Amino acid sequence: MELLGYIAAIPLAAAAAGEEEGGSFLVSPGLGLMIWTLVLFLFTMWVLSKFAFPKIQEALDRRAKTIAESIDAAERQRRESDELLAEYRARLAEAREQADDIMARARKAAETAEAEATAAGREKREELVSQAKRDIEAETRRSLEQIRGEVADLTVLATEKVTRKSLTAEDQKRLVEEALAEVDFSTLSGSEN
Amino acid sequence: MSAEQAVTEAPDGAAKSSGLSTKAKVLIGLGAYLGIAILLLLIFGSDGKNEEFQPQNEFKLEPWITLELGGIDFSINKAVLYLILASALTIATMLWISKRMQQKPNRVQTAIEVAYDLTKNTIAGGALDTKMAARWFPFLAALFFWIWFSNMIGFLPLPTNTEHTVNVFGAEIPSFALYAATANLSIPLVLTLVVWISYHVEGVRAKGLFKYLASWLPPGLEDMNPAAKAFIFVIEAISHFARLISLSVRLFANILAGHLLLLFMGGGLAVLLGIAALGALTFPLAFFFFILEVGLIATLQAFIFSTLTAIYLGGATSASH
Repeated sequence: MELLGYIAAIPLAAAAAGEEEGGSFLVSPGLGLMIWTLVLFLFTMWVLSKFAFPKIQEALDRRAKTIAESIDAAERQRRESDELLAEYRARLAEAREQADDIMARARKAAETAEAEATAAGREKREELVSQAKRDIEAETRRSLEQIRGEVADLTVLATEKVTRKSLTAEDQKRLVEEALAEVDFSTLSGSEN
Repeated sequence: MSAEQAVTEAPDGAAKSSGLSTKAKVLIGLGAYLGIAILLLLIFGSDGKNEEFQPQNEFKLEPWITLELGGIDFSINKAVLYLILASALTIATMLWISKRMQQKPNRVQTAIEVAYDLTKNTIAGGALDTKMAARWFPFLAALFFWIWFSNMIGFLPLPTNTEHTVNVFGAEIPSFALYAATANLSIPLVLTLVVWISYHVEGVRAKGLFKYLASWLPPGLEDMNPAAKAFIFVIEAISHFARLISLSVRLFANILAGHLLLLFMGGGLAVLLGIAALGALTFPLAFFFFILEVGLIATLQAFIFSTLTAIYLGGATSASH
């Protein structure tokens, strides 16, 4: 209560001093104005603390919560996407491996098929060649027999004309054999060897 | 002139002008500034000292509506109007913002949020423990916002000067003037008294009367003899009373000095001395001081007042002095 007396004394003393000098009202507090100030300030404080500050705090808290949740959600999504990415990478690697495997197998199959085809082709060719060779040999042999027969006949005919006598079958055969031994047929069958 | 020539000459010209602009331009500017003032002084001369003009009357409170209750003068005057304006503006702004708090804030909301955060975490949270901060935050925040709005509306010219009126189509309306409620000692003083009483009450409540008074003594005096201790206690007690003056006068004097500077630079000095030419010199300075006051002093003083309040409250209740 002593304090209140002191407070009240300040403006009174200052007001008394203020009567005399021109500018001293600047530093002389007025009790009425002080009470006005107190009332208006306390009212302002009451309104602010009752209606404004709680709402601002609430909104700030809500935002802080939203931000925290957003960060958590983002973290979670990042982790999920990381997991997904890892999974996809693993799957991709697997798929690539499988593809490589398939490719290798296909290549091997193709090589096998090619080798088989080559072998079959070679076999066929060889068969054809040997068949042709056989045909040619047979034909050559037949031609030789024919030539040999004709030569023998001609030789007989020529010998008859020269000697004017018929040869016996034995003579004839001997002569032909002699003549044929002199003839070289190697040129006829040369292309085949 | 060919384009090539222009290119080669351009850097030369630029170097010349920049060589002038650094020092010489400032000197030429100042010279011209002084020259205009001297020229005006030569043209208009001096009217002699003006004895009628009383600059302090800008801050004089004339009762507009006389009101007296129980021997106390409750008259409505300029200061009361500014207090009502400051309170209304504080309440309106804060309520308006608090009702429209968005998740994605606009600029005004961001500014208020920064100020709110300043009062909550820097002023209250910085000097007080959690429990005390929660209890005193509304007071500290209200102090900050209320003083800030009071200071800021002090820089809006309002038609409040009833000493000099302007005749507009026959109606005598008060001329526009700058005034601030906080440039009147009563207002900071009563806030200071609230702070002063509050921190003593908190101190006594936290420690008990005698322990609180004992905590005024700085630590490290345990071995001192009682007479010296008593002497130091008296000094500490005086320092507590000095806080009444320092806290209130710091705010009052800063705002008053700012307004006086604006008044004198804005033409008051020229009128007072009767030298019109002086106005040419002081008027640009008025802009500089206006920016300084609005941009720095108004906010800084509100911040200092509420920060010191928090520090006093924290000092009174903390375990060690």
